[in-house]
Amino acid sequence: MSGDAGDSSSDIGVQPENAAGDRPVVVEDLTKEFGSVVANDSVSFAVNEGEVFGFLGPNGAGKSTTIRMLLGMLHPTSGTARVLGADIRDEAALTAAKRRIGYLPAHLGFDESMTGEAVLDYHGAMKGETRRDELLELFTPPIDRPIREYSTGNTRMLGLVQVFMHDPDLVIMDEPTAGLDPLKQERFNEFVREERDRGTTVFFSSHVLSEVRRVCDRVGILRAGSLVELENVDALLHRSGKRVRVHANNAAVAAITALDGAVGTERFADGVQFIYAGDANALLRELSAHDIHDVAIGEPPIEDVFAHYYGTDGTEDTGDAAERSSNA
Amino acid sequence: MLETARYEGRRRIRGAAVLTAGVGAYAGFIVWYFTVLEGVDYEDVFEDLPPAMLEAFGIESLSTIEGFLGAQVFNFVWLLGLGLYFAYVAGGTVAGDIETGRMDLLLSLPVMRSRLLVEKFAALLVPMIAVNAFGGPIIYLFVVAVGESVPVDNLFLAHLLSVPYLLVCAGIGLVFSVAVDRAAIAERGAVGTVFVLYLVESVVGGADAYDWIQYLSPTQYYDPTPILIDGSFEPIDSAILIVAFVGLLVLSQALFERRDV
Repeated sequence: MSGDAGDSSSDIGVQPENAAGDRPVVVEDLTKEFGSVVANDSVSFAVNEGEVFGFLGPNGAGKSTTIRMLLGMLHPTSGTARVLGADIRDEAALTAAKRRIGYLPAHLGFDESMTGEAVLDYHGAMKGETRRDELLELFTPPIDRPIREYSTGNTRMLGLVQVFMHDPDLVIMDEPTAGLDPLKQERFNEFVREERDRGTTVFFSSHVLSEVRRVCDRVGILRAGSLVELENVDALLHRSGKRVRVHANNAAVAAITALDGAVGTERFADGVQFIYAGDANALLRELSAHDIHDVAIGEPPIEDVFAHYYGTDGTEDTGDAAERSSNA
Repeated sequence: MLETARYEGRRRIRGAAVLTAGVGAYAGFIVWYFTVLEGVDYEDVFEDLPPAMLEAFGIESLSTIEGFLGAQVFNFVWLLGLGLYFAYVAGGTVAGDIETGRMDLLLSLPVMRSRLLVEKFAALLVPMIAVNAFGGPIIYLFVVAVGESVPVDNLFLAHLLSVPYLLVCAGIGLVFSVAVDRAAIAERGAVGTVFVLYLVESVVGGADAYDWIQYLSPTQYYDPTPILIDGSFEPIDSAILIVAFVGLLVLSQALFERRDV
């Protein structure tokens, strides 16, 4: 498994031959400090043209900081990045590049008093609106109403319309599916895949592993301000495992948790919870051999995945994380 | 071109209408009150007041409608009220957008920060022009309605020359807005600064030793009562206000370019 990760990271790291700026996003040693807090610690990665790149990490890992530096809202402390060939420290170049960028912030601060239509008119006048009507058929915010009357989902849909309305080459989204119901999330994932097939490069952050898995071609994992992994989704799939929650007697619990690949065991009154990254059949065989009152197998929360695979807890210092990543 | 100014200006229309209506209603009340006071020898009433107080409230000649308007409407509403209002509103422009996350959306658009700031500020011209362009005729009509008269050119000048003064007040607000993270603090800071400058000018105006301090206040350079009475003003005063405004705008630009949002 570590061989997988090693192979994949070697062909997707920032290679000298690819560093010419032809890739839509090239991040080089990007560092941002807020006082004594290091929000991004020498982050480097690149996003290839026409791929969906997931920027994964728990809340507070520094994902928004990276994204907001890419768009020129924050000035890097050191290092830099190029977005569609524009150095993010060069405001004029970055501003010109923004005509071809769609951005969805984590928090959509639309003017509450304006109608969705007025907001889209303004965005359209600034950056273009060739796909506005088409998108309004797909996402259906009530654009004739003032935004203060919008539900969270409607606000997100208005946000998505403004992201894609000018047919951007690069789309940057910060937690795009937060606030969408599962059905809308599914539609959104499908939409993102279609956009990629049209040639759009998509870079988005998420703290939801399953979402990243379903739509991303490659994933960068940010933890405590450092990039700890850069790998393709298959490798991540193998590593992340499932969260298993079993209600059973003590003997059964002991046997089940002794399985290869069961980690992070946490006992509770009448059962146990753990992350299982071993063979699925072995787990099912073991479960069927005992008297089980209840069992739930599901997606592990990303914090748990990180804790089990990249360190013991979320507060470890970035130096440790970097070391682990280089050993992986 | 100017999409941002147009869009932001649209957001200011309702506020501008409310402001103009409020100021117009107050002016109507003052004009009506002037007719009630007629016959009262109230110059005597103010004779005993300390000169500093007369200075502070711009009281010169209350027995004429020009003097009365100058003291009660222009000194009170334009110099103090609108000065504070524009400092407050400008204080909320950038800091408010940063606080609500709106600035993220604005800066994702292909527009330079310097241009964004200028266009956002330009939207404040909507209430500034509305309150003068409509306030002036409203005052004039009220005056005519009570059978008095006021020289149209002097009234026009009093409004026109208030614009550089109000720009400086708004400029003070803008500096606070780009320098501070939270809208409430920027607004309070701006209002407090304009108010303190107003007080300082009034207070030290009488004291010779520190009379230079009064020249720091924008209120020193806009004196509506003499303009209304006989049309007298110093062009250099308006020039000073315009230079100060440009300085504040340049300072805001520099601060906004440098800051993280």
